[in-house]
Amino acid sequence: MNQVAKEASPLDEVMREYEDRLQKALAMGGPQKMAKRKGRGMLNARERIGMLCDPDTFIESGLFGTSSSNRDDAEKTPADGKIAGFGKINGRETAVSANDFTVMGASSSSTNGRKIAHLKQVACQRGLPLVFLGESSGARMPDHMGARGMGTLLGNDAAQYQRLRETPWVSATLGHSYGSSSWYAVLSDFNVMRKGAILAVSSPLLASLATKEAVEPEDLGGWRMHAEVTGFADMVVDTDEEAIAAVKTFLSYLPSHNNIAPPEVPVPPGSGAEMSHILSLLPASRTQVYDMRRIVRTIVDKDSFFEIKARFGKVVTTGLARLGGRSVGIVANNPLVKGGALDTDACEKITSFLVLCDSFNIPVVMFVDTPGFLIGKDAERRRAPGKIMNFMNALALTTVPKLSVILRKSYGQAYLNMGGGRNSNEVAAWPTAEISFMDPQFGVRIVHGLEPGQPGFDEAFANMNRDSQVWDMAAIYAAQSVIRPEETRSYLIRMLEVYRMRPTNEAGAHLMHAWPTSF
Amino acid sequence: MSTYEVKSDVTGSVWKILTRIGQRIDAGEPLMIIESMKMEIPVVIEDAGTLVELRVAEGQSVSEGQIVALVDI
Repeated sequence: MNQVAKEASPLDEVMREYEDRLQKALAMGGPQKMAKRKGRGMLNARERIGMLCDPDTFIESGLFGTSSSNRDDAEKTPADGKIAGFGKINGRETAVSANDFTVMGASSSSTNGRKIAHLKQVACQRGLPLVFLGESSGARMPDHMGARGMGTLLGNDAAQYQRLRETPWVSATLGHSYGSSSWYAVLSDFNVMRKGAILAVSSPLLASLATKEAVEPEDLGGWRMHAEVTGFADMVVDTDEEAIAAVKTFLSYLPSHNNIAPPEVPVPPGSGAEMSHILSLLPASRTQVYDMRRIVRTIVDKDSFFEIKARFGKVVTTGLARLGGRSVGIVANNPLVKGGALDTDACEKITSFLVLCDSFNIPVVMFVDTPGFLIGKDAERRRAPGKIMNFMNALALTTVPKLSVILRKSYGQAYLNMGGGRNSNEVAAWPTAEISFMDPQFGVRIVHGLEPGQPGFDEAFANMNRDSQVWDMAAIYAAQSVIRPEETRSYLIRMLEVYRMRPTNEAGAHLMHAWPTSF
Repeated sequence: MSTYEVKSDVTGSVWKILTRIGQRIDAGEPLMIIESMKMEIPVVIEDAGTLVELRVAEGQSVSEGQIVALVDI
């Protein structure tokens, strides 16, 4: 059989050049740097995207971008160190940015700045969640130095760090992250941090130069500090793989944008199976504490509780979960820590969580057992009144359904902050609830001037205890329901159905869409 | 392995010590109970480890943030 030889075309050379440029653009920082990362157990930027997105769904924007400020750098800046594009995560379209630390430390430059700005604009305008896989040395110093550098590169995008919560933003801090990586981590709704990563304004070297003392990276911005002191790490994990899994799980509770309801999923078998024993998780003695998270896990859909900021402000537990297959935000006092007395960290933690839930149409369920706000000199120095009112104001501005269940103690101002006094749409109480202005142990001393052991103390204490029972509250309709503990799950699922936001097609008013992302 | 300083979350007094030097402790397991605000508040650790030093005794007063034990994790 005769074959007609394909004639060489002038376009062949063009296509060869395309393939050549494509390979260079995909090469990142070259084989040596790739091998070094692999040896340290770190994925490279493209591997991270591959793990995050459904197979063959990532479409890149700006693959052939390179350094533009300094043309000599073009050859050594494939994709200009920040990979941007769109991929599907569990079937949902998402905007994705991954910093490639092997290309000039993923430093921020003119070209990659345009890529990220474009990605944000598309995500916010088209209703896509936005994911930042962060690891960056900060600004690309040679490009930014001098008045011309600053005037050219910075300050030309007034919306660069604007956050209006049109769509969820999620960050994974996966390595040393300074400058823009840090900014996007704290601007995000959720930031998962890998142990060993550093999140700070600038590098330890710069910090050492500025302060004239040696600075250890972990002290500057390690995972323990951000998980326990600043709260900037919403979750801490050991590996890249776990971090990416956490990003996907977090997003599974959220809608793609703020005008629709979060996705619903089938209720896992076994959900609610332990409800008949739930009262056994509450200690018989009011002086004993317990881990509220066990009660939360028993009530919500099986294995659905995704705790956020577990190591920060631990007197309260916050997290996403599902009830009857629908996303809910859980705010629950945890008596295990400080008896559940609310401190300033807890106020900030709850406030930021309410903003998250309200911004993305997630109903809030509060489980109440708190002796009140932690008071004293230290609390005042930490600006407790301001934090308590920020929390209160956020609750008042929350327009998604709000349900409160009082399990045990609800005292003083905290009664209002946890939904009492019509600050939740419905308040239900267990028969074990006790509500008053303050714990009777202290109330007897202040109101009657009696100390334990003095004549009359026991009688006054018994009277105050009786008056603190839930029945008077139910009688005046300040508690809308008193329920058996084992009915809590079915009560909440039913009440969430009642409170669906029908007139607005499940979207809240988003009165806190411009609330600060940290404070 | 690193040594972690276990601190009391609250001001109060040490009511019961539940662990001894050299004992392996699971994450979330109480080391001791502090009596504070008329409640029994456990001191727990986030990461499993081995108790290497106790810095308080039963009946002793402690303040918030005080180091009460050292744990190797």
